[in-house]
Amino acid sequence: MKSNSLRLLVALAGFALAATAASAAPVLIGNKNVAAEKIDGATVKAVFLGKKVAWDGAGRVVLAVLKTGPVADEFLQGSVAMNASAFNNHWRRLAMTGGGTAPKAFDSAEDLRKFVAETPGAIGFVDAAAADTSVATLTPAS
Amino acid sequence: MKSKTILLVCLATLFAGMTATRSAAALTVGAKDNVQIGGFFSQGWLQSSGNNYPFEAKDGTFDFREMAVNVSTTVGSHLRLGAQGFAQRLGNYGNDKVMLDWAVADYNFRPEFGIRAGRIKYPKGLYGEALDLDVVRPFVFLPMSVYNPIMRDYNSSFDGGMLYGSLSLGRAGSLDYKAFYGDIPMGIDQGVADYFNSAGVFNAAGVQTLQLDAVGGFSLDWNTPVSGLKAHLSWSRMTELDSTGQFGAVPFPLTLNLSLPEMNYSTVGLEYVRNDWTFAAEFQQTDGTTLLNAAPIVVNNRGNYGINNWYVSAARRFAGRFEAGAYYSVATNRFPSSNDRRADKELHDYALSVRCDVNEHVTVKLEGHYIDGSYNVFNTARTPNPVMKDTSSFFAAKTTFSF
Repeated sequence: MKSNSLRLLVALAGFALAATAASAAPVLIGNKNVAAEKIDGATVKAVFLGKKVAWDGAGRVVLAVLKTGPVADEFLQGSVAMNASAFNNHWRRLAMTGGGTAPKAFDSAEDLRKFVAETPGAIGFVDAAAADTSVATLTPAS
Repeated sequence: MKSKTILLVCLATLFAGMTATRSAAALTVGAKDNVQIGGFFSQGWLQSSGNNYPFEAKDGTFDFREMAVNVSTTVGSHLRLGAQGFAQRLGNYGNDKVMLDWAVADYNFRPEFGIRAGRIKYPKGLYGEALDLDVVRPFVFLPMSVYNPIMRDYNSSFDGGMLYGSLSLGRAGSLDYKAFYGDIPMGIDQGVADYFNSAGVFNAAGVQTLQLDAVGGFSLDWNTPVSGLKAHLSWSRMTELDSTGQFGAVPFPLTLNLSLPEMNYSTVGLEYVRNDWTFAAEFQQTDGTTLLNAAPIVVNNRGNYGINNWYVSAARRFAGRFEAGAYYSVATNRFPSSNDRRADKELHDYALSVRCDVNEHVTVKLEGHYIDGSYNVFNTARTPNPVMKDTSSFFAAKTTFSF
């Protein structure tokens, strides 16, 4: 009996972990005119922190971010080493002090993907399941 | 009456913010979404006991608010234009007068190099450029030894130019730099004037002219390889900070000139952000010389001026929408008079703060301070303290709507 309960708990924990992992699998997406840009981890960081404002050939960088959620947390922690709160404060400081143009923030991945697809120079992140052929899926070089 | 009207407008705006359902970091308008509008309105209440500090508030006051609206746009791939209007009232300072806070043309050639010109935020200390941004910190007041709210006009922005950029240091992280030069427009209606009035050399009418020749300096932020750890170094020099008024020590009209030919600010700081915690510490030293002239009675009377300011702070977010913070902030006169008591030459500020994010747009903060010492506590017409107490305290509540 005790053994069955333990197995059930382990199974539930495994399921929860798998579900969490599946719900937070961010991918970097860009407008198709960004696809030819050379993008590595340092570029992604510079872009999302507002230090790189123009692409080499794709015009001005237009940032699109999800406001909250595990995908935003996962992406921001992995790419700029900030949680969503710290990232928002970083951009509030820039935008309110004349240091940068704040990202376009979205509640839903669909709206973000649509914006990126329609906006030259746009780059953002969504859950892997939300990416489609309307945008370029970007894989930063290591 | 005017104050009450402004207070009502602020409260109505805050209520509108609380009931808003749609939210965004900044409002964007225009066919290509390349015009951004942002801003904030805040309204606070402050009551002090012991001394009127940081402004006249012993009876409790709602004369404690700030507001700003900014607009920015981009032209082409590299050029950005923007400006912000700002107004505040801190007791008898500010008077809700709208001023140009910043207005910049910014051309970013590449991450390593950009140029900014216009009225630019003054990069002094970790948080010097973000003095007014309630929304990015748990505290109502930043540690006042380094970020004195009454001196805001003097520390906030300058007219001139700036070179800036971010350099990769490979495995050692990156270095953000700013180098700047310009001047700070000053007026006798600003808080900085009371700094001169409290020197005790002018008569009751106080300082009558105030001007600065130039300010220049640099700021370096090293984003270390340790995730979340940033080290800061900044230095700036003001030259020919001049004030004139009537000499208060003689019973007849005599113009007195009090000037600081050079004044330097040197600041080092560390900030460490890890998960829900933010730790910060800064040390700032000011040094300069003073020059008094009221010929024929006083001729080229030179003196030394300098303050050591420092603080340590910690803050932690919890339960999603709350943040608690505390700091200990100290200001010490480096050149006290021989007969100064400890309370006359030092100020120790112990602060505790709680912040609640009601929603994405509205924050509410409560903060208590215990002040040990009276150094830099004014006794002027706008901040009267005819009987200076050695200790005092104050409580502040503030709510901010930002968009």
